[in-house]
Amino acid sequence: MSKEESIVKIRDLRLSYYTRRGVYHALNGVDLDIMRGEVLGVAGESGCGKSTLGLTIMGLLPRNAAIENGEVMVDGFDVVRPLREYFRRSKGKFKPTKNDDVLKKLHKAMMNIRGVKVSMVFQEPMTTLNPVMPVGYQIAEVLLQHNVSLLAKRRLARAKATREDMKAILGYLRGNDMASMMDYIKSRRLEGIEDQVMAYWRRRDLHDLVKEIRILSLCCDAVNPMLRPGLSYAARTNRLPSAPVLRQLVRHELVKEGYRKAAEYLGLLGMPEPEKVVKMYPHELSGGMRQRVVIATAMINNPELVILDEPTSALDVTIQAQILDLLKDLKQETKAAYMFISHDLSLLYQVSDRIAIMYAGKVVEVGPKDSVFKEPKHPYTQMLLEAVPTLEPHELKGIRGEVPDLRNPPKGCMFHPRCPFAMPICREKEPPTVDVGSGHKVACWLYAGGGEKK
Amino acid sequence: MIIAGRHLKEYFPVKGVRGAYVRAVDDVSIDVHEGEIVGLVGESGSGKSTLGRLLVRLLDPTAGDVLFNIPDSELREYDDALERNDKQMVKKISSKYSILRLKGSRLKMFRREVGIVFQDPYSSLDPRMSIADIIAEPMIETGLYKRAEALERAEELLEEVQLPRDFAYRYPHELSGGQRQRVAIARGIATNPKFVVLDEPTSALDVSVQAEILVLLRELREKHNMAMLFITHNISVVSYMADRIYVMYAGKLLEYGPKTQVIRSPRHPYTQALISAVPEVGREMRRVVLKGDVPNLVMPPAGCRFHPRCPVAVAECGWDSGEVSEAINRLIEARYAELSGKLSVKPKGPLALEVRGISAQQLKQIVDAESESTKALKAIYSIKDAGDHVEVSLAAPREPRLVPVGPGHAAACILLEGKEGK
Repeated sequence: MSKEESIVKIRDLRLSYYTRRGVYHALNGVDLDIMRGEVLGVAGESGCGKSTLGLTIMGLLPRNAAIENGEVMVDGFDVVRPLREYFRRSKGKFKPTKNDDVLKKLHKAMMNIRGVKVSMVFQEPMTTLNPVMPVGYQIAEVLLQHNVSLLAKRRLARAKATREDMKAILGYLRGNDMASMMDYIKSRRLEGIEDQVMAYWRRRDLHDLVKEIRILSLCCDAVNPMLRPGLSYAARTNRLPSAPVLRQLVRHELVKEGYRKAAEYLGLLGMPEPEKVVKMYPHELSGGMRQRVVIATAMINNPELVILDEPTSALDVTIQAQILDLLKDLKQETKAAYMFISHDLSLLYQVSDRIAIMYAGKVVEVGPKDSVFKEPKHPYTQMLLEAVPTLEPHELKGIRGEVPDLRNPPKGCMFHPRCPFAMPICREKEPPTVDVGSGHKVACWLYAGGGEKK
Repeated sequence: MIIAGRHLKEYFPVKGVRGAYVRAVDDVSIDVHEGEIVGLVGESGSGKSTLGRLLVRLLDPTAGDVLFNIPDSELREYDDALERNDKQMVKKISSKYSILRLKGSRLKMFRREVGIVFQDPYSSLDPRMSIADIIAEPMIETGLYKRAEALERAEELLEEVQLPRDFAYRYPHELSGGQRQRVAIARGIATNPKFVVLDEPTSALDVSVQAEILVLLRELREKHNMAMLFITHNISVVSYMADRIYVMYAGKLLEYGPKTQVIRSPRHPYTQALISAVPEVGREMRRVVLKGDVPNLVMPPAGCRFHPRCPVAVAECGWDSGEVSEAINRLIEARYAELSGKLSVKPKGPLALEVRGISAQQLKQIVDAESESTKALKAIYSIKDAGDHVEVSLAAPREPRLVPVGPGHAAACILLEGKEGK
């Protein structure tokens, strides 16, 4: 099989943070797959490793993180290999300061993955965005980093296209004949124009006539002849030219193009007056609009996986509803997979296809949404669900005790000190993960212990 | 009635701008009966925390009154007097029960009767005080006990919030979030208050811990018959905790009533949207997605403050010429490109517009066709040709009043007023 079904494959991942106050075992043997095009919800209390897991997939680990074992394959590329090898070499004398070179290597290797194949949306839209730059620039930056050729192509195509070209393209669009449109664009060597055409064509808030006028006006946008060679170089190689002055000029032209693309994309995300918004600074936008901008930076390169780390926790319920609606639309339009991290189980029920429940750095239960919510197997999942308040009130039950101190995690099953069904074996041996049917897996002795009773 | 707020207003001055105020709470009345849990729901910036603080006099209101421990009969008399505008009577009752004129030892007595628990247990506990001192402080401050007695009672209180007694000699940094919030609750109830304000007490906690705290709070209420004002943005939590619910939006009270009434049959469009936006396990959502954001409270929208986002807004909801002209401009740009550039819209006073570059006939057609998608157009009341331009006049806005829609259930929406009239 050339293309695997899973975009992320995590096997027995063990990660520790080395701090002055001891070694925190943050992830203790995580096994998890994220399939292409699915939404995987990840739930658990705070401090159970949800965010660490997301950051590991992104390769965004701090220097004191040690990968003790396991692999994280993102589209066939092992993200944590350099860190794991460094940990093996250090033979138990892991020192955070010596990790720097390894991390540098990792970051270099991640350049082709982060922001292109995988990207991440963080919880606080205010801290994610740079307060001293217009939001349009921050979206454009992602393109300038990874997709210079697209920007250059768009610019050149607009310079080259004639009114006749645009009329022809409109004709194909009206006839809903995308294939012929692409053929026409290829034969006229106008690659890059389709991106702009489709951005207007797919807008829902615009009237058809307005769309057509905007599309028609995409032609005859002459480009400074001095920039032409630089732009074509960028379009061909996906790199900026190296000659210093030309490089600056081309970059400048492409930043402008980036703003244009950013505005088009924000328009697609349902932002009102996107052309104005791209010139604004984060503090001028409301929380919901900021989160839309963050989502745009994450999605603009069409990644195959988007990690959403509590994307709506800082927002009000009505704004949360707007963002969820947006994500639902995006899910239909793109083929991306989503990893949705949240502590809010009821929210995950609304968005996910599959759910993974984490506890103390382990996935204790994973399976299709309906099966996990209707028939939760792991006592932790059951208790977590009983703790969620609902509109129709029911008896609430908390979970006694606390998440264990991960410096000396309990032996055996990590949940046994809080578990009402704990058996002797739970205190001694870690439970294996067993399949209880149709991809629903659980790590608990209640389901694995049948033959091994003592 | 343990606490009754009447026509409370809290305007915070905007720094550097004379005459500009943030109208955090604008003419809100609220009642809390003895031993009752009242839920106060709203989005951030709706003024719910400010209202909570007004009721225990952590803030002094710009206008309005807060009456404490007032017999129901006298409260009724007070309300009647307010309606009749009988200033003497109002003054007489208010001097007896109002908390706003309390000073010195009488204020301390009042402080003994009320408590407050804040949202963030990480910043509301002094890191340099031991847990015993934290809990004892209100008892000593209000002169309820001497220090030695207070410390002893602090240990009892720890037991009451289900923490071990030896926590008394620890410091806040040694405790987890849930334990800290228990300490904050112990401090809030230390003086055996009759009324406690809980300002988002579980928002910073995990669900598992939240559940325990909520159960604890209900037990405390049963045991001490305390009245509570539970402030939160989480409707599911309120539906577990509260007996009655108040819904606030942009400084105004939009709806209040018994819990089951408000949650099962909300009457205000905002409450309906809010409840539909609550995600739940096992129920696919039928969301009413509201456009836009919470309004700016320095220049709040006229009429009903919810009208710019309201999915069922009508002509008199409070549209002004600025909003309507913006709506027309946006509409022209997005849907009627052939007119863009030719047409100009200018507000002329709060309720009139001057439109150039289009005939009255044409404009009428556009307005008729689009008024469902662009609610602001509903406010247009007449379109007249006036020589070289078209004059558009808008319907006058009406301020919604709270109309009763059931026993103890009221909502402030002009759509409901209409029904009442029929």
